[in-house]
Amino acid sequence: MTVAILEAVNIVKRYGKFIAVNGITLSVMPHTVHSVIGPNGAGKTTLFHALTGAVPINEGSITVDGVVVSHLPGYKRVLKGLTRSFQVTSLFPNLSVHENLRLAAQGRNPVQALHLWRSAESLTAAGETVDILLKRLNLSAVATRAAGELSHGQQRRLEVGMAMAGQPKVILLDEPTSGMGIEDIGDMKRLIHDLREEHTVVLIEHNMDIVMDISDTVTVMQLGQVLVEGKPDEIRNDERVRRAYLGSMTDGDSA
Amino acid sequence: MILETQEIHGYYGKSHIIQGISIAVDEGEVITLLGRNGAGKTTTLKTIVGVVPPRQGNIRFMGSNVAGLPPHRIAALGVCLVPEDRGVFKLLSVEENLKMAARKDSPWQLADVYTIFPRLKERRKNSGAQLSGGEQQMLAIGRALTTHPKVLLLDEPVEGLAPVIVNEIVAQLKRIKAAGMPIILVEQNLQVCTQLADRHYIIEQGRIVYEATNAQFLADNSVKDRYLGVNAAGAIYSQSNARQC
Amino acid sequence: MNLLTHYRYTLLAIATVLLLPVMLSSGSLATEVLIFALASLGCNLLLGYTGLMSFGQGIFLGLGSYTAGLSLLHMRVPLLVALLAAMVVGAVAAAAVGWLSIRRRGIYFALLTLALGQMFYFLAYTLKDITGGDNGLLNIPRPQLSVFNTTLLPTATQWQYYGFVALVFVVAFTLIQRVADSVLGRTLLAIRDNETRAAAIGYNVKLFKLIAFTISGAITGLAGALYAILIGVAPLSSIEYQASESILIMTVIGGTGNLFASVLGAGLYVLAGDWLSTLWPRWLMLLGILLIVVSLYMQKGLWGLGAQLIDRLKPRRAPRDPSAVKRKQNP
Repeated sequence: MTVAILEAVNIVKRYGKFIAVNGITLSVMPHTVHSVIGPNGAGKTTLFHALTGAVPINEGSITVDGVVVSHLPGYKRVLKGLTRSFQVTSLFPNLSVHENLRLAAQGRNPVQALHLWRSAESLTAAGETVDILLKRLNLSAVATRAAGELSHGQQRRLEVGMAMAGQPKVILLDEPTSGMGIEDIGDMKRLIHDLREEHTVVLIEHNMDIVMDISDTVTVMQLGQVLVEGKPDEIRNDERVRRAYLGSMTDGDSA
Repeated sequence: MILETQEIHGYYGKSHIIQGISIAVDEGEVITLLGRNGAGKTTTLKTIVGVVPPRQGNIRFMGSNVAGLPPHRIAALGVCLVPEDRGVFKLLSVEENLKMAARKDSPWQLADVYTIFPRLKERRKNSGAQLSGGEQQMLAIGRALTTHPKVLLLDEPVEGLAPVIVNEIVAQLKRIKAAGMPIILVEQNLQVCTQLADRHYIIEQGRIVYEATNAQFLADNSVKDRYLGVNAAGAIYSQSNARQC
Repeated sequence: MNLLTHYRYTLLAIATVLLLPVMLSSGSLATEVLIFALASLGCNLLLGYTGLMSFGQGIFLGLGSYTAGLSLLHMRVPLLVALLAAMVVGAVAAAAVGWLSIRRRGIYFALLTLALGQMFYFLAYTLKDITGGDNGLLNIPRPQLSVFNTTLLPTATQWQYYGFVALVFVVAFTLIQRVADSVLGRTLLAIRDNETRAAAIGYNVKLFKLIAFTISGAITGLAGALYAILIGVAPLSSIEYQASESILIMTVIGGTGNLFASVLGAGLYVLAGDWLSTLWPRWLMLLGILLIVVSLYMQKGLWGLGAQLIDRLKPRRAPRDPSAVKRKQNP
């Protein structure tokens, strides 16, 4: 039996009296796409923030490939192999696409970035990674353009690329297809699906088509807890999931 | 039709959230915008009132096109949004909140709001911050009524409220509807929706994928699963699924 | 990239240094231009490269002046040692100020630097025995540049001192430009563009900001030292709020994101001040108007304006890709 590459055990996050995440345990297997879904107010976003290090957790532990990262600040988690993308596009808008990716690749060795003498080009390892990435992301043609000038679909792909560049073990993607036109969504689907070869992906998405199509495992959250977890087909037909999404609607219970 | 959107597109920066939405609401009608999280329901409302400026398409309100007008002008014309966070002014008292944008020609004056929501009368000297969720919602709706609205846009009015309060608010919304007020309702609570609405629209990934009368919606079991649950079956890719009227 | 293009800014700096004696009759004024150009460089490293608007640069300018003054007056150190001491004190002070201020961002960061600036001012005012209080440190000697008792460069006359400062300036500019072009400099630019993103890809943003601060403090301290040696006094005004403000204004007017722009800004400020102040005591108002115009319409400063003009004069290039979105202004 393989060991989980990302293990979040009994995560609790409170905001005053309100418990946003109430004892979530998540085991993500290596080289899989693991989606987290749930109706409004389920706590998916809070869980995501807890995993990326944006909010500190009250209880529980988070481990990446055996290394505990529970209380590390976000930037330190990158060194442990955990990267993320942003739901609202967050690139370096005034820097070129190439530079954006170079910085992301360099982030794996941030100590090298302290060199006040050497030029960026002399650190060739990062440069090679970038060229390969540009091809995979289909952004080679716009490598020298400022990131702020790209189309939305290209920017969203670059978002994912920034998370890939640090050669992470686990990539956390936050609604990668947000605001995308249908034409671009197909490319994004393929990109995410191919990621599992070298990485592991944890995905938060509202586009059920994508979730069901490319996920290996789906975790459904409700009110800060895990409701069900399983393969997409199992989740699709699960009565509890149906009630979680619609049930608040059919019997008048408020979420 | 009092309010009609024609293929409107809304963006947050470059993010193309609303990808061509056409809905309409008539006098005394309640229509709902349903859909999962992230589908674009709230953004549709924001695009109508101009908070998110529509980049394409028209918004016809009482015969003229209001797309592109600044939000305060659209609000002044009578398109009134009650946002999801209610927007109660926490530093002001209940009465100050209600009087703030009140118009003399509104069919609902301060006294009428207190009649509809007696609880607000009891708490009229309390500051907005001291109200419970339900009271804030009542205040937000009451305040909207004093501005002489011609169409109400309600974003999740009963979210997070206890069933008793939900019923109270739904009862009052029925009365407001009976008075002839067109309402566009974004709401996840299907029971509330089916009690109030004449027609339903379902939004997915920024487009309308379903439109039906209340009766048709109640009769159709699979549509709820497909668009509101997790049983997506390549729905957004096939155009034939759209617009089952 | 051929050598000429690579070192184009250094060449501009050298050109400036050669041009000033031709343009100006006062060696002291020319020296002042270079000194404040250095101070502005230090400020630009923080503002244009890291995105930090510090209202406390006067702290390091003043400390540089005091350090040079004290070491030359009381310890009779050689010229270069005095400069070095000033740089070290500037760096250490900046590290301390930075460490406290970096904990906050945006306007709170700016206010912290402002408050600390005021604190240092009052310290300087109160510790009269060390700093000379209101009067400042007087009679600061100006030693020749010498090594083991052999004079390398005389500094007695105005223009001789200018020659020395010009040398220091060119060396400093080259080094700072190198830092700006290095991996570190590029990382600072990224932090300025999107701090959250920088952290999300693995950079310890606070550490980088601290490093930028330290380097800035060293450069500004150097400027302060050169200033004290120029006028023979380490005045209280160097550490006063107005000094911080002037440095910031020079940097903004010159233009951020390009080091040579700081030389332009400092040049304008010092020369305009000298020339206009005899014509009209309220000349600062013109500077204020210029600052407003730059903030509203010319966010790339004078350098940006110059670059735009040159662009217009160049022959038309092939039309750009029609699908490209208009490039955002670099503030």
